[in-house]
Amino acid sequence: MNKIIEAINQAVGEAQRRAASATAAADIEQIRIDYLGRNGLFPELSRQMGSVPPEERKDTGCAFNAGRQAIQQAMDDAAAKLTAGKAEKFTGIDVTLPGRAPRTGHRHPISQLADECVAIFSRLGFTAMEGPELEDVYHNFDALNTPADHPSRDLQDTFYLTDGRILRSQTSPVQIRVMETHEPPVRIVAPGRVFRRDTPDATHGMNFHQIEGLYIDRNVSLADLKSVLQYFAREMFGKDVKIRLRPHFFPFTEPSVEYDFSCVVCGGKGCNVCKNSGWIEIAGAGMVDPNVLKTVGYDPEVWSGYAFGLGIERLAMLRNHIPDLRLLYDNDVRFLQQF
Amino acid sequence: MNISREWLNQYVALNCDDATLCRKLTTAGIEVEKVESDSTVPAGVVAARILDRQVHPNSDHLSVCQVSDGKETLQIVCGAPNCDAGRIVPLAKIGTEFHTEEGDFKIKKSKLRGVESSGMMCSAAELGISDDNSGLMILDESIALGTPIADLYRGDTRIEVEVTPNRPDWLSMYGIARDVSCLLNEKATLPEVKLEESTVANDALVTVEAPDLCPRYIGRLIKNVKIGPSPAWLVKRLESVGLRAINNVVDVTNFVMMELGQPLHAFDLAKLSGGRVVARRAKDGEKITTLDGRNFTLSSENLVIADDTKPMALAGIMGGENSCVSDTTTDVLLESAVFNATNIRFSSRRLGISTDASYRYERGVDFDMAEFASRRAAQLILETAGGVQACAPCEKSADRPAEPVIVCRFERIRNLIGTPTTNEEMVDIFRKLHLKVDEITETSCRVTAPLFRLDLTREADLAEEVARINGLDQVPEVPVKGTVCHPVTEDAYRKLKTIRDAVIDAGFTECVNYSIIGNSTALTDGRFDENDLVKLANPLSPEVAVMRPSLFGTTLGTVERNIAHGNRELAIFELGKAFCANPEKFPEERFELMLLLSGHPHAERFSQEARVEYDFFDLKGEIEALFARFGITRYRFVKLENDNRFEPGFAAKIEIDGKVVGAAGKIAQKFVTWRNASGVYLAQIEAQAFFDAERYVRREFKALPQFPASNRDVALLASADITHAEITEFIRRSHVANLESVKLFDVFSDEKLAKENLCSMAYTLTFRRADRTLTDAEINQAVDKLRERLEKELKLTLR
Repeated sequence: MNKIIEAINQAVGEAQRRAASATAAADIEQIRIDYLGRNGLFPELSRQMGSVPPEERKDTGCAFNAGRQAIQQAMDDAAAKLTAGKAEKFTGIDVTLPGRAPRTGHRHPISQLADECVAIFSRLGFTAMEGPELEDVYHNFDALNTPADHPSRDLQDTFYLTDGRILRSQTSPVQIRVMETHEPPVRIVAPGRVFRRDTPDATHGMNFHQIEGLYIDRNVSLADLKSVLQYFAREMFGKDVKIRLRPHFFPFTEPSVEYDFSCVVCGGKGCNVCKNSGWIEIAGAGMVDPNVLKTVGYDPEVWSGYAFGLGIERLAMLRNHIPDLRLLYDNDVRFLQQF
Repeated sequence: MNISREWLNQYVALNCDDATLCRKLTTAGIEVEKVESDSTVPAGVVAARILDRQVHPNSDHLSVCQVSDGKETLQIVCGAPNCDAGRIVPLAKIGTEFHTEEGDFKIKKSKLRGVESSGMMCSAAELGISDDNSGLMILDESIALGTPIADLYRGDTRIEVEVTPNRPDWLSMYGIARDVSCLLNEKATLPEVKLEESTVANDALVTVEAPDLCPRYIGRLIKNVKIGPSPAWLVKRLESVGLRAINNVVDVTNFVMMELGQPLHAFDLAKLSGGRVVARRAKDGEKITTLDGRNFTLSSENLVIADDTKPMALAGIMGGENSCVSDTTTDVLLESAVFNATNIRFSSRRLGISTDASYRYERGVDFDMAEFASRRAAQLILETAGGVQACAPCEKSADRPAEPVIVCRFERIRNLIGTPTTNEEMVDIFRKLHLKVDEITETSCRVTAPLFRLDLTREADLAEEVARINGLDQVPEVPVKGTVCHPVTEDAYRKLKTIRDAVIDAGFTECVNYSIIGNSTALTDGRFDENDLVKLANPLSPEVAVMRPSLFGTTLGTVERNIAHGNRELAIFELGKAFCANPEKFPEERFELMLLLSGHPHAERFSQEARVEYDFFDLKGEIEALFARFGITRYRFVKLENDNRFEPGFAAKIEIDGKVVGAAGKIAQKFVTWRNASGVYLAQIEAQAFFDAERYVRREFKALPQFPASNRDVALLASADITHAEITEFIRRSHVANLESVKLFDVFSDEKLAKENLCSMAYTLTFRRADRTLTDAEINQAVDKLRERLEKELKLTLR
């Protein structure tokens, strides 16, 4: 055993004794300085390592490392003993303090519903298209087979601009714009804002949002329309929802239907929302009128198709049980952040 | 349109209950909106026979009866004196709910003085059938046990239906009866009219000078009528559909209109100068006072019924005050006419009068019905007001319009509605709807529509009839099929959703505002003036009359309302359309993105942290993060002066590739109408900038660095006028060798520096090469060169 190893063993013993009797953190720090610090024993020994004969170097090195570790261990144990005694005094952080909340965004219920509608119809191969909100009378009425004296054209129902154009009263003009620019088959939805000259109340606003659907192809039937709406109803409100078609009238479809969903609130038993009928009117639809097809240059003998329209606000109100449409346009963040 | 069940029943036997009738109406397209039944008898009360009556063991006025409803025998304790065995009486079974003026109650199984009772036998008064409360209501022996009493004493039911504009033929009891007859497989019959016509001709009674506007006019003269109240049956009919009784003659005209859909008018002959009527265009400026006392000035576009001198009625809309039937009337001229629908609609709209008559005329009345209705009304006037027909009816008619003839290809109809309806079924439906069908072959038939079905002109219209009468519930559900028609890249919604998603991900709450706003709200955004606004010709009110030129005005309102409600922490946005009438400023319609921050980013925390408020750089950071997400890198924030939206000195315009795409800053104090609020930071960005970027964003892989970077710090004293951007731009243009990035890490100023208009700025320069580790010497050389240029060319002092 050489001198260095002796010195190491001695130092380890000393250090362990000192560590065992340490009463303060300063005592442990002094041990570190004396043995492991830059001017301490171990760096000094390390410098002497060169004088060790080569055959002893391996053992000496091992002893050196083991000694250093033993001292470090003694210091750690002592430190742990010191803190253990003080454990009840060190409280750490108060984990019950309020966390730092990241800001969370909220999608407006109208957008949520529009997004979902578009997503559902996208899965069926519909592409979303858009059209202007400042629309001409031709696209909003004439091309949609609306008689020149149809009440919907009245000043009290439709907003007119000073240049004779209008604020579109429906998303249906997008049908015309798409058919004018695309050869059949076409398969689109058109979500967007529409305007009616209604004084805002619980169920009306100056504007609201619709999503229009249009599919023109060979041999499209009312059964196809019904099936797509049934698919939509189930995707939107769950697998138990039923739909009911009722005959109705729209100038741009023939046959025309209105479609109802079985009440999404009471499941069809009857409640306030469905006025005890068990059904909720969702919107209008039908087979595209041959006159409309002719207007855009489609041959009604070859092509047929369906169109439908949904009110986004109505869906949002139904699904989220929102009692008053005005809440949707009031933008109170306490309301918006519920969704 | 109101339907009275009792009244409807006069024309078609209603062999079903109210619920079934309403369901059938709705599924056939006559949508029932409201049902009101007069019936007071609750469901659950049935006819039952008293089998046995015993004296109650514990009472001298109660009886214990065994009662059978035909299915079961129940023990009922009864206090009525007449509950004799053998009688058939109404029995309210357990569960029956009574709704009375005193309150609601439900029949339950109970014990009366110790004896069990399973129901209640009822008096007529208890069922609301009469006032008789002296004992049990005794029913006729012929009534089958178990019959619901509500079926026996139903009262009338008023059904309110929505009639679509294509079906004016549904605007009468008989018209509804015609469709109901098809739905219930019963025959619809017109009322019987027996009228002895006078043989005295009076061709001068009616003159039609405008046959284009009045294709048919039938006038009758009834003399010596006695005006008075209508008989009870007539009053009841009118009231059952919500009309008010006036006098016998007027009531008859209203009754026949509701019965047959043909509006009628009665003139007081004594008030007609010349004793005749002329259907003519009004002279320009001609005036009339209608019988509701309103004055109108007419033009040649209005049709009037005039006497020799002046208008006596607005044809098809309302009679004149000067010619109406009154208590003193003795002779009546009865009008039954067909007017041009478009013209009536025009006049009604222009003059702002809508009546039951104009409502029917503008939708189109049945050319053929005018004659029958005239006879029917004459008969009823004679019956209720007496008098005699002074002459034969005077009719002036254009040619009867041709009935539309439609070729119906059976296969085509099946293809359109997707049901396997057979040829025979289709023909049957058409016939039941009173359509004429002939030339039936294997593949098609010819359908002639009567004149009351103005809506049937094409094959598609017949398809609707088949679908409607068959029931749309018969349309099968088939697997969803369809062609993929458009590439997804055409999808217009995706680009909006991409922006919306990004902003919501960043923690903003979405707002949606109306896009029609007030002039003053619109002009709060000083970028726009009056001429830039898209204006409405017919606003709901003058205060809400223009399309928003930007989202600024409505956003101010949103903030104000929220702060008024105590919502001080706002991170909101709107992505919406804005409109501009001036193409030099903006496209007519464009999407704008508005971002807004106000309040405290960490109000949920405490102490100093909770008091920190959003500032300009929070907003700028959000915008930069958004740009990064869209791959927009070549943008700049440039100090914005003279913009009324923002507080001077706290605003920037945002440029991408040198083009202004928006602005951001602190909202000018003058707009802050709310109290105790933090600063409000708002950005408006043209959504087009994102659309453009999104379309071309391509993220390309860049190799990760293989060699370490080295940093050098440079601190400099700059004039406070020089911007961070100018310094970094200068460094960028200096093309310092191997410089990878420049980062500001400190800005410092104290009183002493401020006095000299100086500011200390410290930057970390990061150097790196892709192919090797840089040596200290070459980095130092580069930094020294840069320091020299900064001192010389930018006149900065390096520290």
